[in-house]
Amino acid sequence: MIGLWIGKCVLWLMQRFGRRATSLPGKMALRISPRLFARLARQLNFCAVVTGTNGKTTTTAMLSRMFAAGEPVIHNAEGANMQQGILTALLRAASWTGRLRVRTAVFEVDEATLPVVAPYLPIRVAVVTNLFRDQLDRYGELDTTVRKVTEGLARTAASLVLNGDDPLVRHVGLSLGTHHVVYFGMHRGHLHPLEREVMRDGAFCLRCGHPLRYDGFFYGQLGQYACTHCDFVQPHPTFCGQYEPGRLHVHQEGLPGMSFPLPTRGLFNAYNALAAVAAARVSGLSAGQIERGLQSFVPPLGRMQPFATTPVSVLNLIKNPAGCDSVLAAIAAEPGDKGFCILINDLAADGRDVSWLWDADFEWLPDRIQPAFCVAGGLRAEDMAVRLKYAGLPAAAIVPVPGIEPAIDAALDRAAARGVSLYVLATYTALYPAARHLTRRADTTSGTASWDAGRKNDETHPDSPPVSRSPESVRG
Amino acid sequence: MKPIRIAHLFPDLLNLYADKGNILTLRRRLAWRGIPVEVEQVRRDDPLHLSRYHLVLLGGGSDREQALVGEVLRKQRAEWASAVASGLPLLAICGGYQLLGEYYETAEGLKVPGLGLLDMRTTAGSTRLIGNIAIESPECGRIVGFENHAGRTEHRHLPLGTVLHGHGNNGQDGKEGVRYQNVIGTYIHGPLLPKNPRLADFVLQLALAYAGAPAELSPLDDALELLAHEAFFQRRIVVGRGLRRGDGAGASR
Repeated sequence: MIGLWIGKCVLWLMQRFGRRATSLPGKMALRISPRLFARLARQLNFCAVVTGTNGKTTTTAMLSRMFAAGEPVIHNAEGANMQQGILTALLRAASWTGRLRVRTAVFEVDEATLPVVAPYLPIRVAVVTNLFRDQLDRYGELDTTVRKVTEGLARTAASLVLNGDDPLVRHVGLSLGTHHVVYFGMHRGHLHPLEREVMRDGAFCLRCGHPLRYDGFFYGQLGQYACTHCDFVQPHPTFCGQYEPGRLHVHQEGLPGMSFPLPTRGLFNAYNALAAVAAARVSGLSAGQIERGLQSFVPPLGRMQPFATTPVSVLNLIKNPAGCDSVLAAIAAEPGDKGFCILINDLAADGRDVSWLWDADFEWLPDRIQPAFCVAGGLRAEDMAVRLKYAGLPAAAIVPVPGIEPAIDAALDRAAARGVSLYVLATYTALYPAARHLTRRADTTSGTASWDAGRKNDETHPDSPPVSRSPESVRG
Repeated sequence: MKPIRIAHLFPDLLNLYADKGNILTLRRRLAWRGIPVEVEQVRRDDPLHLSRYHLVLLGGGSDREQALVGEVLRKQRAEWASAVASGLPLLAICGGYQLLGEYYETAEGLKVPGLGLLDMRTTAGSTRLIGNIAIESPECGRIVGFENHAGRTEHRHLPLGTVLHGHGNNGQDGKEGVRYQNVIGTYIHGPLLPKNPRLADFVLQLALAYAGAPAELSPLDDALELLAHEAFFQRRIVVGRGLRRGDGAGASR
């Protein structure tokens, strides 16, 4: 009980003083009563979880909007996807006597956290969005991530909603034969042939070690694949998605087609919506409720998020090669001339190893986008500048400016002088300071847009990092 | 001038830690000097003719993939030994570095045999040695980057450099990497070459000499590369050292 009170007190105090309480209350409570998590979690009647490398936050947000269209739902804040973040969400919904007021939950769960929390949560539906290379220095290597996800899912009795277009996720599905498994996938019409030699994590069959043969790709390693040696093959999807700007058509095996509004841009977001629709259907939600949920969905921070600066700027989160490539592809599809500001931090939440910058396809910039300039900022501004030089961007277009705010200011000045719109790309810990600064710059120029307008006060920000690790410490 | 031919071995298997960046660096630094270059990607089932190449790059992969590579490589042990003896420049990083030795002993005690080119053995430790690293090399000056390896490597050759900060070969003896003939082995990625232009040019110079075109490389404008090197050293090594003084990390032991 003491842990509960401490947690709730910390939560109240942080909210009272306008701090972002997404993980710290849970962390403190957990330190005092390790069993609190189990005590709160077992009161839930229904829990759906979303895990995977990319798209967790968007998929979870969409799915929780779908549930919320019918009943109240507990949902953890963006990025707060480890045990303390989930506990913070539970604390928010708990009374001072430890009773949960809401009994349905949708959680985003970190891949390595899944085996830890799975035994305590009544997980009925579990979604795996995809398994890409993400933050190698956190988990060692990719095989570990596949193993952790499999291990976590094995500890549930959940129906599994898996991305059948991803050979690594398919492998997870095959190794959990006793579970109820459904696959989602994109329509063949979205396939495109391999254009350039790129690294693909799932290019080998995890069962027999032989190369996979691809007939086409959606993005990254997602595509139509089959092993050249054994019978490992892309499954026929139970939920097949087809998208056009603003709409997603879903064909569920044996049922007439459904069509939903798609409130976000790009193929990777169509995948997120498809995953959420599939999970909602497996959970028994009606097409009408799913539609209402998607209509009320506000895209999360840093997913093609516009700011009313002068000129206009658009903010995007980048955190690994596959995610970064899909962001660059989405930007390349936007009309007009462009300038860039790429903010790279290397704090723990970003991954301390920035070598992923070389696996991401920044060659898109000189080859297809030809930006007027590219400012490189953040704690690793110079590393990013070197990456751009070797990508083939002209030296005169590369401007290293360490820090976040100075980099954004320099980029906005250049964008105004050249009359182009500004695309800001930021790693996780650079995203919030960037959004804050862009809001300030928007306020001083037009006084309208606010970066967190329409969102609840303190649910979307991570706890501020300790002072010694804050991005400001780069100065000098 | 005939092109410098570089072999990128098993890019389909050994592709952790952005080896793409090392290849790109070598390719660009030759092209900027007007020296023609060809990079050939050699996959597992392709025949490997070592005599074709003036430089060979062997990267790192996960344990499973590394075992597959070791199996393929060992079929041509004799050719490897004679190529290295005749001065073939070979740059081996992380897993590729470990493969040059006699064996890699896994945590379960299984000895996965390597190429046996070097008097060198690697044993998996219980923890991974992860973090930013800086070393001082007698041939190439200071080298900076990132390391992430479970293996503890011991050998009786010269090291690539001595550890200024970080773990190095085994976290014990303050040595990092290996230098033998024209072989360079190291745990440093990040990737290795872009921020260490002196090392990149040292490797290229070896390749040019081996190709029979022993021209001096003309200087390039490395302002951005050196800026990145220095910024990394100041913010991530000097500061990191100050904060962690006393925990015994690095060469002080």
